[in-house]
This record gives sequence, C-alpha cells and structure tokens, in this order.
Amino acid sequence: MPQYTAPLRDINFVLKDVLKSDKHFASLATREEVSEDLMDAIISEGAKFSENVLSPLNQPGDQEGCTWSEDGVKTPKGFKEAYQQYAEGGWPSMTANPEFGGQGLPNSLGLVVTEMVSSACWSWGMYTGLSQSAARLLEVYASDELQQTYLGKMTEGTWGGTMCLTESHCGSDLGLLRTKAEANADGSYNVTGTKIFISGGEHDMMENIIHLVLARVEGAPEGTKGISLFVVPKFLPDENGEVGERNGVHCGSIEHKMGIKASATCVMNFDSAKGFLVGEENRGLNAMFHMMNSARLGTALQGLSAGEASFQGALAYAKDRLQMRSLSGPKNPSGPADPLIVHADVRRMLLTQKAFAEGSRAFIYWVAQLVDTFYFAGDEQARKDAEELSELLTPIAKAFVTETGLESANYGMQVFGGHGFISEWGMEQIVRDLRISTLYEGTTGIQALDLLGRKVMGSGGKQLMVFTKIIHRFCKEQQDKPGMAPFVTKLVALNKEWGEITGKLGEKAMANADEVGAASVDYLMYAGYVSLAYMWARMASVALDGDADDVFLKAKVQTANFYYQRILPRTEAHKIAMLNGADSLMDMPEDAFAF
Amino acid sequence: MPEYKAPLRDMQFVLHDVFHAEQLWETMAAMEDVNRELADAILEESAKINESLIAPLSQPGHEEGVSWVEGVVTTPKGYPEAFKQLADGGWGGLSGAPEYGGQTMPKMLVLLFEEMLYSSNIAMGLYLTLTSGAALAIASHASEELKTKFLPNMYSAKWAGAMCLTESHAGTDLGMIRTKAVPKADGSYSVSGTKIFITGGDHDLTENVVHLVLAKLPDAPAGSKGISLFLVPKFKVNDDGSLGEANGVSCGSIEHKMGINASATCVMNFDGAEGYLVGEINRGLQGMFTMMNYERLSVGIQGLSAAEAAYQWSSLYARERTQSRAPSGPVNKDGAADPIIVHPDVRRMLLTQKAYVEAGRAFAVYVGKQLDLSKFANGDAQERGAAMVELLTPVAKAFLTDKGLEGTVHGQQIFGGHGYVREWGMEQLVRDVRISQIYEGTNGIQALDLMGRKIAANGGQTLALLVAEMREFSASAAAVQGMDEFVSPLTEAVDNLESLSAYVLEQTKNGDANAIGAASVEFLHVMGFTLYTYMWAMMCKAVLSGDCAQGDAFAQAKLHTARFFVQRLLPQAKGLSESIRNGSASLMDIPEEAFI
Repeated sequence: MPQYTAPLRDINFVLKDVLKSDKHFASLATREEVSEDLMDAIISEGAKFSENVLSPLNQPGDQEGCTWSEDGVKTPKGFKEAYQQYAEGGWPSMTANPEFGGQGLPNSLGLVVTEMVSSACWSWGMYTGLSQSAARLLEVYASDELQQTYLGKMTEGTWGGTMCLTESHCGSDLGLLRTKAEANADGSYNVTGTKIFISGGEHDMMENIIHLVLARVEGAPEGTKGISLFVVPKFLPDENGEVGERNGVHCGSIEHKMGIKASATCVMNFDSAKGFLVGEENRGLNAMFHMMNSARLGTALQGLSAGEASFQGALAYAKDRLQMRSLSGPKNPSGPADPLIVHADVRRMLLTQKAFAEGSRAFIYWVAQLVDTFYFAGDEQARKDAEELSELLTPIAKAFVTETGLESANYGMQVFGGHGFISEWGMEQIVRDLRISTLYEGTTGIQALDLLGRKVMGSGGKQLMVFTKIIHRFCKEQQDKPGMAPFVTKLVALNKEWGEITGKLGEKAMANADEVGAASVDYLMYAGYVSLAYMWARMASVALDGDADDVFLKAKVQTANFYYQRILPRTEAHKIAMLNGADSLMDMPEDAFAF
Repeated sequence: MPEYKAPLRDMQFVLHDVFHAEQLWETMAAMEDVNRELADAILEESAKINESLIAPLSQPGHEEGVSWVEGVVTTPKGYPEAFKQLADGGWGGLSGAPEYGGQTMPKMLVLLFEEMLYSSNIAMGLYLTLTSGAALAIASHASEELKTKFLPNMYSAKWAGAMCLTESHAGTDLGMIRTKAVPKADGSYSVSGTKIFITGGDHDLTENVVHLVLAKLPDAPAGSKGISLFLVPKFKVNDDGSLGEANGVSCGSIEHKMGINASATCVMNFDGAEGYLVGEINRGLQGMFTMMNYERLSVGIQGLSAAEAAYQWSSLYARERTQSRAPSGPVNKDGAADPIIVHPDVRRMLLTQKAYVEAGRAFAVYVGKQLDLSKFANGDAQERGAAMVELLTPVAKAFLTDKGLEGTVHGQQIFGGHGYVREWGMEQLVRDVRISQIYEGTNGIQALDLMGRKIAANGGQTLALLVAEMREFSASAAAVQGMDEFVSPLTEAVDNLESLSAYVLEQTKNGDANAIGAASVEFLHVMGFTLYTYMWAMMCKAVLSGDCAQGDAFAQAKLHTARFFVQRLLPQAKGLSESIRNGSASLMDIPEEAFI
C-alpha cells in the first residue's frame, strides 16, 4: 500500500507562484485575511493529518467496509477516532461563515486540505465533505431560524449532513421524484419516501445527521418545477439545541459496491419524518444546483487526488523494481536488471500521470479561486465574470479530471504489472474507489450536456468567449517570451479552433436537436485538453522565470512539453469525431442494437 | 444480474459469410471431418452449456471467491460439478491432437467456444483454457512417453494444467528466475523454488494438476538462455496411468485480487518435486512460444468476451431504463420519461461497445485463421500464416483487452450509479477483465514485441505483407457498390500505418534507441484501429455483396455500426499517430529525480 506524501512543493508552486494566492486572498472582501504564515501552517498541518492519521486507514477501511444493522451503520475501525481528531483540530469550520462560528477562510484554501485528505483516504473524506457542503447550502438558503438551529453544530463538526436526491427510478432525471412532503399546521412538513445512493446517510462518526431532502409538496407542479428542499434531521434538536427525539428517518440497507467501501451508501427511508422547508416551495432545485457546483468541484478533486496517489505509488515502484535492461544500454550495470523507470513506455505512463495530476491541480485550484471571487470579491464586475467562468469550467473540471484520473489510476496499476491486480499493493483499490467519480454528482454525459447545451449553446457562445479571451490575452502576453513559443503557437491554434468548432456545432444544432448530445462528450474532452494546455503553459511560463538549475522547475517545463507533444494531439480525434455529426449515432434503429 | 446469450448469429456471420471457413477447411487435410454443419452444432452446444451452466456461477463465484486453508484450495460452490460437465462434454479436448484423444478442431471455431466460456465466466474458463494451453505445450515439445502419459487425461480435463513462470522478482524478465532443477540418476529432475501468480496452481476441480515449470539447471547459462521447461505433476503418475504419491508441490497461499475471484491465483512451492524435462535443456522458453501465441490470443478473447457481456446487458438496460426526454421530443409519450437509448450520448457508448466487439470478434477469428493456416496448411500458405500469427498475436492480445476494458467501463457507465453496485454485475466485468491487460505479458510488453521483434527486427517485411493484403482487398472491394465509404478510410489508414512504421524505423536507424519503446503502445493502437477498419470493411463487403445470411435488419446494422466506427472512433488513430510523430525526446529528456 503506497504511503501518501502530500506534494507540498507542487501545491505551493501552484498556489503562490502560478495563481498568486496572496493577491487573490486580498481581493476577497468578505473573507478573513490569510497571511502566508497562516496558509503555510494550515497546509502543513493538513498534510500531517492526511499522511499520519488518514492514509493508514485507507486500506483497512476498504477491507473492513461498513456494516449495517438495525441500530445503524458502523464505519470501519479508526474512522470515528480520526474524525474526533479532525473536529478537535477545528477543520470542519475552516471555510464556514464566522457568524456561525466558522473561520471564514477562502474555499480555495480549504480545497487544498481537501485534496490531501482525499488522496489519503477518499471514503473518509466523503463524510466530512458532504457535511460541509450541506452546511454551506444552509448558510445561503435557509431561514435565520434554521441557521441558528443547525449551523453552530454543523460548523463545529458535531453534526454532519447529507444530500438526498436520487430515488430508485430517478437519478439523472430528478423531475420524476416521488418523495412527498405534507405541510403541518406548525409550518413544518412530514416527509415520506425512499431515497437511494445516499452517501453518509447513516453512520457513527457524528452525533446527528442533517439530511437535505428533495421532495414534492402536495399539489406541486409536475417535473422539476415542483421540487422543494427540506432539512430533515436524524434527531430533532431539543429546546437547548442538543440532540432530542429520534425523527422518522432510517437507513434500510447499504449498498455493496465496487469501491469506496468505507463510505456508507445508504437506502434512506423517510416515514413521516419531520422536515423544514429550505428557501421557497418548488424552488428546491435552484438551491441544490447552486450547491452542486461546489460539490462537482469536490468530485473533480477525486480524480486529481486519486491520480496523485496512484502516481506516487507507481513512481516509487518504477524506481525500485528491477526488470529488463534499458534499450539504450544498462543503466544499473551492477544490478541484475534496470529499474522500470528507464523504459520508455513506463515513462510514458508515469509522465501521463504526472501531467494529468499537476495540470488538474492547477486547473481545479484556479476554478476554486474563481468560485471564491464569485462569492466573496468586493468588485461587482469581477464577481460576475467569475460566476460565468466558474460555471463554464465546473462541468469540464468534474468530468475531464475524473475521466483522466481514471486513465491515470489504470496506468498506475499497469506499472505494477501483476502486483497491480493484487489487493495488498493498494493500486487496484485506487481504481475501484475512483471509478464512482465519473458516475455520481452527474455522470460524465450529464456534465457534457450541461457544458455544451446549457453553458455554451445556452449563452450563444458568450460564456465560452469569457474563457477563450483569457487564453487569447495570455498568449499575446507570452508570445515573445523565450522558451514559450512551442506552447503559445499550439495554444493559439487550439483556442481559435475551439471557437470554430463551437460555431459549426451551433449551426448543426439548429438543424438537428440531437447534435448537441452527439457531440457533447467529445466536446467536453476537447475542452478539458485545451484547459489543461492553458494551465500547463501558465506553469511553464512561471517555471521559466525561476532558477534555471532547479530540477523541479525544469521538470515543469519538460512535463509541459510532454503534455503538448504526446497528450494534446488527442484533441484532433475529438474534433473529427464530433464534426462527423450525429447521423451515425442516431440512424440505427433501436431493435438493431441486439440480435 | 442479466443473463448471457451467446451471439450465435454474429459468430455464424463472421465464420461463414465473412471468412467462408468451410471453403478453407476443405483445403486442409487435417480438417476433412470439419464442415459447416458440425461447426454450427458445436457452437449451439457450446451456447447451451455456457448460458445455462457456466454463466449462472459467475456472480456467486465472484462473491464467494476461492478459499485456502492449510494448503488446500477450494473453489466456489458448484464449480467442481460444472467443471466435470465441461470435461465430460469433451470441451477440454477440442483442439487436442487426435492420437491422444483430442478432436483437432480448427482454432477459428474453438476460439468462439472460448469467447462464450469467458463471457459466461472468465474465472471458470481459465481452469479449462490453461489446461488446453499446457496440453498444447506438451503436445508440441514433450517426449512420446510424457505425451502418452499425460495428454489423454488433460484433453478429457480429468487432470488440469498450470503454467509456472513468474517468480516474485521475475515477471516480465524471466531471465532472472531462480527455480532450480537438479538432474537425478533416473533421468528425471528435482525441482525446487517458489512461483507466484500461478493461475489454477491448485484447486479441487480435478484429481491432478500438471504443472509446466520454468527452471534452471545448476550449470545453466545466465539469463534467458539458461531456462529449461519441466513437467511437474501434483501427484506422480504410475506406469499404468494411475495416480501415485504426492509430489513435492504445494500451494503456499492464494492472492486477494481485484477480480477473477473464483480463479485461484497461487503461490506454488516446489520442494524437490520430481520433474521431467520437456524439450531440450536450456530451450525452455522456446517450448513456451508455440503455446504462447495461442494463450495470448485466448487472453485477448477475454477482453472481447467481457465487452460482449457488458454490451448485452447495457443495451438491454438502455432500452428498459427511462430517464429524461429525447432532445428531439418525447418518444415514449405514455411514460414519464424516455428509455435512455434515445439519448445520443448513450447511443455513443453503446455503439462504441458494439463496434469494438464485432470488429474484435472478426479480428479474433481472422487471427485464428492464421493459426490454422500455420498449423494445417502447406507450403507458402503455411509460411505466410505463421508469419501473420507472429505479427498479429501481440495486437490481438493487447488491443482486444484494452478495448475490452473500455467496453466494460462504457457498459458500467450506462447503468449510472447502479453500475457501481455489485448486484447488477457490471462492476464485476470491469474487475474481471482488468487482469487481461496485465497477464500473459503486459500490453506494454506486447507493444514492444510488435514494434521491436515483429516489425523492426525484420525491417517491416511481415507488416508489408499485411499492408499488401489490405490494399489488395481495397482494390477488389472498390468494385462493390456502396463500399466507397468504407474503402476510403481503410486506404487512408493503411497508408498511415505504413508511413508511421517507416517513421519509427527511420528514427531507430538514426540511432534513437528509445524510438521503439516510445512509440510502441500508441503504434499498437494505430495498428489495431487499422485492422478493425479492415474487419469492418470485410464485413460490409460481405453485406453489400449479398453474402450475409442473417437477414436484412442484421445486415443493415452492420453497415450502421461500420459507419459509426469510421466516423466516430477511427479518428483516434490520427491523434495517436501525431503523438508518435512528435518523437521520443519528451519522454526521455526528463531526469529520473525530476519525476517527483
């Protein structure tokens, strides 16, 4: 099992040197100030906790899994204790609103800690991540009374939270949901229905669980316009705000899954459970969607963090494992064979992992800054721009980073040869755990429809232009800088081509409603490769400014070069495929799919 | 978990309408008893036993797994009984040599049985196919005495076989193995050492397990030139053929793995076990080569099989599961939503699976045909077949399994969250197929074998044979009405393959020792895409020439799927080729210490 080591050098490089976190933090009017010392302390403490407390829980947690009984769900050994330590360390409150006891730190900083937690033990991190997401939603959408009742406990981390959306017959299509909410005389509701796939729906790590439940009020319009959002606590708070009476919410069973076995995936039965409306009736999806952007960025992080963990494992193994001689002559002449890392194809796999992990880190951190800016910046225009851009980039981050993360995790396994398939080495667990990330929080297909249909076409291409203009400006600034030409030339061409492809697809879509769906995933992957090309060019540019003998900085430029030469050509395939249109997808009759 | 249905119509289409197998068999003396009728009967019987007996054991076997207690390996419930039925049905001896009780069926046909077996249950299938593989190595290289003693019981699957190559420090690099074989006065050897990752190394399916073990004699040369091959049975066999005393072979433990949980992956300890030399001293690796071509194709078929099952189940699910409305307006107006097959992106995933599976099946049969030519034909046809086997085997192993994983992941994706939950069976397919990219030579090793040994080593001569064949096909197919949309992409793909291999050979000639390794995996994929274009063009030609005997709807679906393949999947070859043409420098320049 690979021991996780937080990639602090790269984290700092991206945050400080590439994304200028000091300037960014200073631009946020409604967040606490973040000095460099504070930032360093948070990151290094987060690293220690992840490496020393969480990483050792990862493999045993997979093997033990969660257990269900009538009394509830038991998480694997050590999970609860680790959580106590986490809560005592004040981590749950890091980015929470100071009004409810939070520390008010920017989300983009919180995300760095989440990345480390996620690499060390994703399943464990889900309990805290979902709880914090639920709290953030209540901070924005709930009434004062609900905020006063719940947010204190949730902020300090004694109470957790979940999102209850899916039902057995409705996943992507929430308009079909059936869970009912009947109004009581006291303004509360009785919530009845069954939800499935509820992560952290029941567990023993926190004393109470606050469910955010989508349901229909009687007489609500059909489809997505009739969905409301409710707070349904496992235990109703008593008059002192402490855990009181048990509510009618119970976990009926947990799923047996491919991975994330230490994360309880619950069937939740609501049986006239007492619930409280969040926001307005029939506007539940709006609040959820708002939340979903940050949840999607959190899921994108799974692709990055698993890719990073897999890369670390594979790299250590490739340096250690001796097998065959280098094709250009022995590199370890005194040993019986050369280390795997001398072989060109092993390097291809490792460099692909490295290029995706580091490129995705820069990309996600940047999007997180945009989300900060949108929420907290003083400048109104900056907020508006950041909103548009972060909305465009979020589905790209979610789907592209998880898809390429899965590719990377499979490479990590492949580098280990047969040992990669054996559980004790830990590499196959990374693949199994990560596999869910292209499914939940909206599948890759759903993200792609959101990107191309809602964001790009929906804005008549305007939302895309916010980004292509940024790339354009960057290329202009960089074009004469020594060493940047190979990157800038390619990026300029791709940026232009991206706009052209979008235009062509727009024309096709006017004639045929299926064109958007037919192009969407290829479009999203194309967008992802270009987005990472932009991040790699930015990193290369910063690295070229630094000490020319610094191996780390040199490697940045070399990895950028690898990305441009060996990965980026994939855009060509996506371009041709999507421009070839929908007919070859749609012409075949349904019956002809199977004989 | 859905039921598996053998794709008999497509198998018959490929065998009879595309490759005209019967005509080929008529040219081979050894195949005189084989005809279409017999082939179809075998396929139908195979479908029955696999669908009704083997497939239902897959999911429970996955959940239960194999157990090891104090050296005794127990397979999941129902496995010994089912294996016995396979054995009694003669399914272990399909390819066997007739003089020892084998049935000498052509590989083109036998591999379709293997496809069904693996689609039903890879873990169970391995016990049988490894037995056939071991029998093949024995038939090709062992002494008459060993053949007579062991082959009949292996063909009848009364005894199983296992291949013992890997040691903990030596996987890809077999030259480093340490297992020793010390000659004894009676001509046998005393074999000692520890082997790992031995599939079916021990189990309760058969009364004996016949191990083929790579080991070194005390004075053997270092490296791969000092490796010999030994037959080491779990129980010694008396001269009258009855089982004798236990040999010094024991299973030390079994591995806990990502998948194929019902297949015992064993650590095998040989402790002065009695072994018998197979072939010549120090020529052990050569003894493996014949068998390895068959094994590698067989592993490739695991990729095809898993993807076929994933396609069947996800295309069924896509027609039943309703979610959201079609972009062009409701299709299932009476229902609350439309079946997800109306969504273009779901179709993309389904067609991707279908296009790879059906081309993969045709390609597997095509490689099987080359194996049959190399074994049963004479003269030029035999030689050419043998050369093609060498060239195509690594592509079959690696491309079929890479596309197999991709197919199962798409299948899982179509199920949404349910694809991640065990009861639906989709995650098992992903987990079971994942090993096929690794064992029997990782796909990276296959790519090196292709680019280095099979192409560069002979200056691209064998590849030129294939290129010429594909061009000849294009020229002849161009006359068939409607073929242009398939012939043009094939022509372009073949030209690209040729110039791409020339580029890599040129780089090598110019002194870039890493050119081959840096290009190899992407090259193998470009070649795979090119060959699949060839397969699709052949299938379309069969349809457009009126050779398809499976009805119009079936024939039209072939054209649709081919169109999807060339328009939406084949473009990947362009990206891969560009990546190769950007050279090896970006892979090799970065120093080791800079990776972190």
